[in-house]
Amino acid sequence: MNQYQLTIKADDKQVVLERILQVTRYRGFLIDGINAKVNTGTHIGTIILMVRSERSITLLVDQINKLIDIKEVKIDDVVAQ
Amino acid sequence: MTTEKKQTGGSVLFNVLQQHGVEHVFGYPGGAIMPIYDALYDSDVQHFLCRHEQGAAFSAVGYARASGKVGVCLATSGPGATNLITGLADALADSIPIVAITGQVPTSAMGSDAFQEIDVFGLSLACTKHSFQVTNVNDLPKVLHKAFAIALEGRQGPVLVDIPKDVQLAEVTNSLEDFSQLRNKVKLPPANVGSAIALLSKAKKPILYVGGGVGMANAIDELRAFSETTKIPSVSTLKGLGAIDPDDENYLGMLGMHGTKASNIAVQECDLLIAVGARFDDRVTGKLNEFAPHAKIIHFDIDTAEINKRRAADAAILGDLKINLPALAIPLSIADWQQECQKMKQDNAWRYDHPGENIFAPAVLKEISDKMPKNACVTTDVGQHQMWAAQHMLFNDPSNFLTSGGMGTMGFGIPAAIGAQVSRPTDCIIAVSGDGSFMMNVQELSTIKRFQLPVKILLIDNAKLGMVRQWQDLFFNGRLSETDLSDNPDFIMLATAFDIKAKQITKKSEVSAAVEEMLEHDGPYLLQVKIDAQDNVWPLVPPNTANDQMMESI
Repeated sequence: MNQYQLTIKADDKQVVLERILQVTRYRGFLIDGINAKVNTGTHIGTIILMVRSERSITLLVDQINKLIDIKEVKIDDVVAQ
Repeated sequence: MTTEKKQTGGSVLFNVLQQHGVEHVFGYPGGAIMPIYDALYDSDVQHFLCRHEQGAAFSAVGYARASGKVGVCLATSGPGATNLITGLADALADSIPIVAITGQVPTSAMGSDAFQEIDVFGLSLACTKHSFQVTNVNDLPKVLHKAFAIALEGRQGPVLVDIPKDVQLAEVTNSLEDFSQLRNKVKLPPANVGSAIALLSKAKKPILYVGGGVGMANAIDELRAFSETTKIPSVSTLKGLGAIDPDDENYLGMLGMHGTKASNIAVQECDLLIAVGARFDDRVTGKLNEFAPHAKIIHFDIDTAEINKRRAADAAILGDLKINLPALAIPLSIADWQQECQKMKQDNAWRYDHPGENIFAPAVLKEISDKMPKNACVTTDVGQHQMWAAQHMLFNDPSNFLTSGGMGTMGFGIPAAIGAQVSRPTDCIIAVSGDGSFMMNVQELSTIKRFQLPVKILLIDNAKLGMVRQWQDLFFNGRLSETDLSDNPDFIMLATAFDIKAKQITKKSEVSAAVEEMLEHDGPYLLQVKIDAQDNVWPLVPPNTANDQMMESI
C-alpha cells in the first residue's frame, strides 16, 4: 500500500474539511494523519493530509480538485512504499 | 440592480429565481419552510405541488433534462429534506443541474435534535456537486446566485441550499445586487489535439463512443458534423442515445451490458476508441481489463477527474466539446471497416417476429417509436422495460430520452415525465414504466390529475420485478427471492381513481389500436400491457465478462 502526503489549499468555507475527508474515504484512501490551519488574514486554509491506498494518488487529487472551495492540491512526496 | 424595499429571505429566494429565468418549481411545504411558501403566495413563480418530496426532486430532474434549464425543487427540513436525497443522488450520477432548497429549523434550535431537524448539509456531501447552509440573510442572494452558477458550470450537477426558518423570515439589510452573471471559472489547460490527430490518422478500425456529455455540452451538431466528416462507426451509452442520428448508416446502437451485438463486437475489435463525454461506466465496459483490448483511447471530457479514472487515455482532450470536436474532424480512409461494421449491424438486426399470441414488449416499444411525434419525449423507470426502450425506440436528441442512468433509480419515470411535460407543454411525453417501478412513485398520479398533464403512461406489466427475476433465473439457480408481484393492485381501477383514462391489453392483436388510442388521446392515459413473466432482455453480458461474450438466449 502506497503512502502519500498532500498539501491542500482551500478557501475557509463551510464544511470544506468534511468534504475533503468524505471524498478521501469514498475514493478508497485511508487517512494516517491530518494537520489543518487557517490564515485568518487571507481566509485560506492549509490542510496537510497523509493517506495510504493501493489506488493511484492522482485519482484522489483529481477528485479533491473538483471540490468547489479547493484552490490547490500538491503531492508532497511518497513517504513509503 | 439595487432596491430600497426591504425584503425577507423568503421573498429574496423568489426574486433570485426569477433573475435566473425560473418559471416553475416543484415542491412540498412543511413547518420549517413555511416562510418561503408564504413568499411564494406573492410570487409569479408557478409551484407544482407533488405528493412526495422524491417526486418533486425527480420532476425537477425531468424538467432540467427535457428543457436544458436548471430544475428547482423545495422541501421542508427533516423528512422533507431526506426525501429529496435520492433525487439529488440521481442528478449527481447523471450530471443534471438542479437547485434544491430545503427549510431548516431556526438557527437557535440547530444542533439540539429539534423537531424535524436533520443535518441535511452533512447528508448533502455525498449526493450533491456542492451545498450551502445560509445563516445570515444578507448572504442569501449571493449564495443562491452561486448555486445556479455551480449547477451549470463545467460538469453540471445538483446544488443544495439549506435555509433556516429565521433566515427565511429575516429582512435583508444590504442592497440586492444582481449576481446573475456570476460564474466560477473552470480552469482547464488549452486542449492539445496534436497527439489525438496522430492517433486518428493511423487508425484502421476506429469507433466513436458517445456519452451523455455530448447532450449536456449542447454539442450534438458538432458531434454529427464530426461523424459526417470522419464517417467513423459509432456506438452510444444509455445516456448518449439521441446524440447520433439513429438513421446514420454508421451508427451501431447502444453498447454495454444490454447493447447491440454489433456495437459490442465492433468495440472489442476496434484499434482506436474515441470516448466523447463518456466515462467507461461498468455497465458499458463489462470486464474492464478485457474492454476494447486492442484500442488506443482518445478521451474528450469536461471533467479532469474522468480522464484515466477507469481506462488510461492515450490522448486526453479536456474542455468544451463544441470547440474541441471540430478540431479533430478530418476525413479518414476506413471504408473496409465501415462496411464490416454495417454488415455486423445488418446481420444482427432486431427481430420482432415473436411467436405466439402473447405481447412482445420490444415490438410494442418499436411501434410506439414509429408512431410517436418526432419531438416526443420518453421517460423510463428502471428494469427490463428500460433496457427494451433503450434498445427498440429511436430518439433524435438526448433531451427526448430521459432515463436514470448512473443511479438506476426505480420510481424515476412518472415524476420525470411530469417535469418534462411542465417544461414542454405542447410535446407528447410518454412514461415507459414497469409494474415494480410504477408503484414506487404512484402517488404522483395525483400531480398529473391536479395539473391535468397529458402524460401517457405505458405500463409494461409482468407481475414481477422482472430484471431481478431474470438475474435470479440466470445467475442464482432460479431461486426467485421476493420478485413476485402477482398481488399488484388493479392498475386500471387505480388510474381511474386519479381521473386517468386507462386500458389493459393482453394479446398481440390488440397492440396497434391501443397504441394509436393512447397517442391520440387528449389527456393523461395509462396503457397497461400484460407480458409473459418469463420474457428476458437480450443480449446480456453477464457480470465480470468481456462484452463479446454476451448471452443471446437461455
